[in-house]
Amino acid sequence: MAVLAQKKPTTIFEKLADETWRRKFLRNVLIPWLFIAPLLIIHIFVVAIPAVQGVYMSMTDWGGINPNVNFIGLENYHKLLFEDHSFGKSLNNNINWMLFFLTVPFILALFCATMLSQIKRGGMIYRSILFIPYVLASVVTTTIWKNLLNPKDGILATTARALGIEGFEVAFLGRTDTALISIAFIDNWHFWGFLMILFLASMQSIPPVLYDAAKIDGANRWEEFRHVTLPGIRPIVLFMFMMVAIWSFLAFDYIWLITQGGPGGASEVIATQLYKNAFQRFEAGYAAAQGVVISIFAGFIILVFVMLRRRGWDI
Amino acid sequence: MKHLKLMLSIALLLLALTSVGAQDVTTVTMWFAEGATLDCWGPIMESFNDIDPSVQLEIVPQADTWNATRTAVVGGGGPDIVRTPGPSFVYEMAQAGLILPLDAFAEEMGWGEFFFDWALDLGLVDGELYSLSDELETLLLYYNVDVFEANGWTPPETMDELNALGEEVAAAGYTVFSHGNASWRPSNEWFVGEYMTQIAGPHNVYKALTGQIPWTDESMVEAMEILDAHMQAGWYGGGLDLYFTNEGPTRRAMLADGSAAMNIEGSWAIRDLTDYHSESGQGWDWVSVPSKTGADQFTIGMGNTSSINANSAHPEAAAQFLTWYFSPETQGAMLTSCLKGPAPVEISAEVMGELDPRIAKVYADLSDASANDRYGYTTWTFWPPKSDVYIYEEVERVWTGEITVMDYLEGLNEVFAAELEAGDIPPIPSR
Repeated sequence: MAVLAQKKPTTIFEKLADETWRRKFLRNVLIPWLFIAPLLIIHIFVVAIPAVQGVYMSMTDWGGINPNVNFIGLENYHKLLFEDHSFGKSLNNNINWMLFFLTVPFILALFCATMLSQIKRGGMIYRSILFIPYVLASVVTTTIWKNLLNPKDGILATTARALGIEGFEVAFLGRTDTALISIAFIDNWHFWGFLMILFLASMQSIPPVLYDAAKIDGANRWEEFRHVTLPGIRPIVLFMFMMVAIWSFLAFDYIWLITQGGPGGASEVIATQLYKNAFQRFEAGYAAAQGVVISIFAGFIILVFVMLRRRGWDI
Repeated sequence: MKHLKLMLSIALLLLALTSVGAQDVTTVTMWFAEGATLDCWGPIMESFNDIDPSVQLEIVPQADTWNATRTAVVGGGGPDIVRTPGPSFVYEMAQAGLILPLDAFAEEMGWGEFFFDWALDLGLVDGELYSLSDELETLLLYYNVDVFEANGWTPPETMDELNALGEEVAAAGYTVFSHGNASWRPSNEWFVGEYMTQIAGPHNVYKALTGQIPWTDESMVEAMEILDAHMQAGWYGGGLDLYFTNEGPTRRAMLADGSAAMNIEGSWAIRDLTDYHSESGQGWDWVSVPSKTGADQFTIGMGNTSSINANSAHPEAAAQFLTWYFSPETQGAMLTSCLKGPAPVEISAEVMGELDPRIAKVYADLSDASANDRYGYTTWTFWPPKSDVYIYEEVERVWTGEITVMDYLEGLNEVFAAELEAGDIPPIPSR
């Protein structure tokens, strides 16, 4: 009765005087925070503070060298959105890049993962072969493909010429109409194996009994894929959709290593433009504004997925 | 125990002696990109260490050297010797107080005695000397001697002759200029600066650089239209799409194996030409890039600059190294051993006599041209950074037909005017 009558501590002093509260606080609040503190401190110093600094720098005329900067408000954003016509072109290229990567590698990966999931013996060999391009450094991949696609001495052109096949002596990377799609093709050659392995791993976690049930119900292969496989791997597919959409706005290395945005800006994306502004034109403040805009795009994509999740989507 | 004490005492004594020795040696640091250049330059630069044991040079291999140096210097660190890709990069660093003024060292160590008069002026920022220019460069018209002889062609002397020869070369099935920008996209700017100098004339370029005439002046329009016509005719690399695809080794091989007749490129290409052509067995030679008037004129450029870091603990020692490095003797040794473009200093006739006559002639003619008002300007040395990037980025849009020559020059005018107003133009030697 006495225990029931005991008054719950309400003020901070009463709480600190109460041993039960102190133990609970230590176990549920303080210790978890202490465990996470090292990571949090590192995160604050290498992510949060630089991010805030980046936002501030985007509102200055900083050139990247001279520490004396002038605050110019939203001038960089105004220039970016209303005056810099090349930004719209780069954004358009980023969107095309995203559309490519949200379709081609997903279709390839889903198809091959489905095929490979049927293989009982020797599957590991196929998986390894298809995954190898993913572990190659981008410098290696781009060098290989620049040589393969060389219209004069490339292996494709010389082999086709030797076999009497025409049409391969095209400078795919030197034409404004094919440069971006060719780089996307090269990047995808490296990337899709990674998606395939993720989908395959996810497919293997689907209970076989579901396939048995589908077979009993008379489902053919396509119906099995549509009604069993796809719903089974949907969370990972949708998650990768979100990640690929975000990565599409960060595309840089393959484009930089192959064309540096050329010819004539045909393969220019926001990240290559940002690099040029920061390190070649010495417009680091303006480049920071572009970085903030990329972050806003990424944030918008995440927001869409968060909203879908709240509406009950299994992501 | 006795032995242990004795050994400890000896160890402490040795340690103390080593520390005293280490304190007496001043180390000057310099960052340099790894590769063939460092392999050749490194041992020569390190021979500085034999002169005075108390001042030692330490070369630190550093990838992406300029960006690494810039970041480190802005952060309060970096090497003692700060190397930049050209005079236009020095301006911001000097304004920010990141590098030291060198006037006192120049006077004390007599730099004016061996540098050409105009060369020290390139390092001035607001009247004070902040950098020393290195690697004198110019653009030349190289040609394949065997191809020319087989077809009875002679090197062109005027732009009209070049145009006529180009037609003949293309009709004979050769690529006119072996070229491609896939390895180095800024190589577009070589031609913009060269055509402006050779067609519009160096005096008009000087006027435009000093804001006396706009870049839309009709002489500039003519220069850019001729360049565009050459590009559209597929003279460079065998076609515009191939120009955008060909890598450096391809363009060297095209001239060496005789599939291309000529190449407009910098004097730095000589290093590779000697290798490629000795392998193919075909001859090469050069003439100055033909001008509209027929005048034998050369654009002048600098490959990089050297300054002293404001954070350097040993600026005196750094200046001592720079004095040795830029001396005609060291520059001559690097020219003969590595075919390094020399700093703009007077190299002795004896050293020049050791060189292949074709190479010696480049520097003799360049020296003569600079002394006799027959010099022009390379974009990477005399244009401010934003205009420079505009020149090589946007010119591709002209060649791909997205914008006209006039649109391009109007854009250049706008970017340049803003930099001129801000005072960001590198020093232009007056003429």
